[in-house]
Amino acid sequence: MKAIFSLMPVLLFLIGLFLFDSFKLVNKKYLILCMIWGAIAAWIAFYLNNWLVNQLALEFSLFSKYLAPLTEELLKSILLLYLIARRRIGFSIDAAIYGFSAGTGFALAENIAYLNTLNYDTANVVWMIRGFGTAVMHGGATALFAMIMIGGIQRDKPFILSIIPALILSYVVHSGFNHFLLNPYLQVTLIITLLPVLFYIIFKHSTNVLQQWLEIEFSNEVEMLSMIRRGEFADTKAGNYLVELKKHFLPEMILDLYCYLSLYLELSIKAKRNLMLKENGFPIIREVDTMDKLIELRLLRKAIGKLGELALQPLVRMKHLELWKLNQL
Amino acid sequence: MNIQVTNRDNFTVVSIHGRIDTINAENFNTHLMHILDNEGVDHLVLDCAGLDYISSSGLRIFLVAQKKISAVQGKLLLSNLQPTIKEIFDISGFSTIFSIFPDTEAAIKSK
Repeated sequence: MKAIFSLMPVLLFLIGLFLFDSFKLVNKKYLILCMIWGAIAAWIAFYLNNWLVNQLALEFSLFSKYLAPLTEELLKSILLLYLIARRRIGFSIDAAIYGFSAGTGFALAENIAYLNTLNYDTANVVWMIRGFGTAVMHGGATALFAMIMIGGIQRDKPFILSIIPALILSYVVHSGFNHFLLNPYLQVTLIITLLPVLFYIIFKHSTNVLQQWLEIEFSNEVEMLSMIRRGEFADTKAGNYLVELKKHFLPEMILDLYCYLSLYLELSIKAKRNLMLKENGFPIIREVDTMDKLIELRLLRKAIGKLGELALQPLVRMKHLELWKLNQL
Repeated sequence: MNIQVTNRDNFTVVSIHGRIDTINAENFNTHLMHILDNEGVDHLVLDCAGLDYISSSGLRIFLVAQKKISAVQGKLLLSNLQPTIKEIFDISGFSTIFSIFPDTEAAIKSK
């Protein structure tokens, strides 16, 4: 019973979040990796925190209120930072789920360690507070970190600058919880009632953003690509813009820009198609030449360089979301 | 956007006229799901002769319909796609997901 109280709530919460992901943005492999990383982070945190307590000669309650939340949130976030940098996380929905998964792994490892250390000789209520409170808080704090981080990246903030507010918020939540300013029962009640509401609002908003993004971009991209293929592109505003660039770039560069635009549009449309297929439970389509085309796009991107990308920016942005999207192929 | 529903042989034929875009996608979805859920239709032809424009919202509704009909071992067939609409399906690769026929007659005969 103690094991169920301390381990199940956070796992059920994670399953709930996973099922709530209507666009199936979350990759199960990364989800499990995040959970495993969370458990490893708990193990590292255990030794690091013990070492820091000894080195700094801090009283344990002070340490758990002020320093442990920082080390633990930092450790939990490492894999998330890697996934964001590799453009494997695109929206608040997948960010929240991967973040919660890392927090779940951490909480499970911590609670299993406590269950073994305390030999189950503790009242059920303690395990209920650890399971419904501490464990869900671990998931929630890391989910907040990932959501704030991806929010910053989407608003074109530099990577490092996006980490700071994300870390501050997750630290405040974690440290605030460890202060136990409120009655523990009240604290747990607040967590298990407010967190689902918060996630619901964020998921709803993020789904709307994703739908609008799909709606606007998909139609524009299909139209632009079909005009390119019909040879009517030069008559459009976008085509005129590309013609204007002839004054500033060598002919071979213009050709590369044209090929880049055309290939990007094709891959972008297919990536969005895959998102729509996943949303409706269809297996995604992997064309045999997709890999070659992705390589070709990377080579073209290199060939046109930063200057070419800047020149194309009115037609094609190549920011986090665009690169994440290509990972859906 | 408006739709007309007729029955031919074993098929229910839904003729779509106008545009399916962000604004009226929900309306189209309500109509189509009513036909599928309440009238128990499992053999459906979407006659797109009058369809001028379809956005991603519309394509997603087609996918939902396809999924529902596949779940009951039924058939969803698309017919009379205008060249611009057919191009959207071809460019995005949705042509491989849906069964597309040049006209409704050919779609019905394909059973």
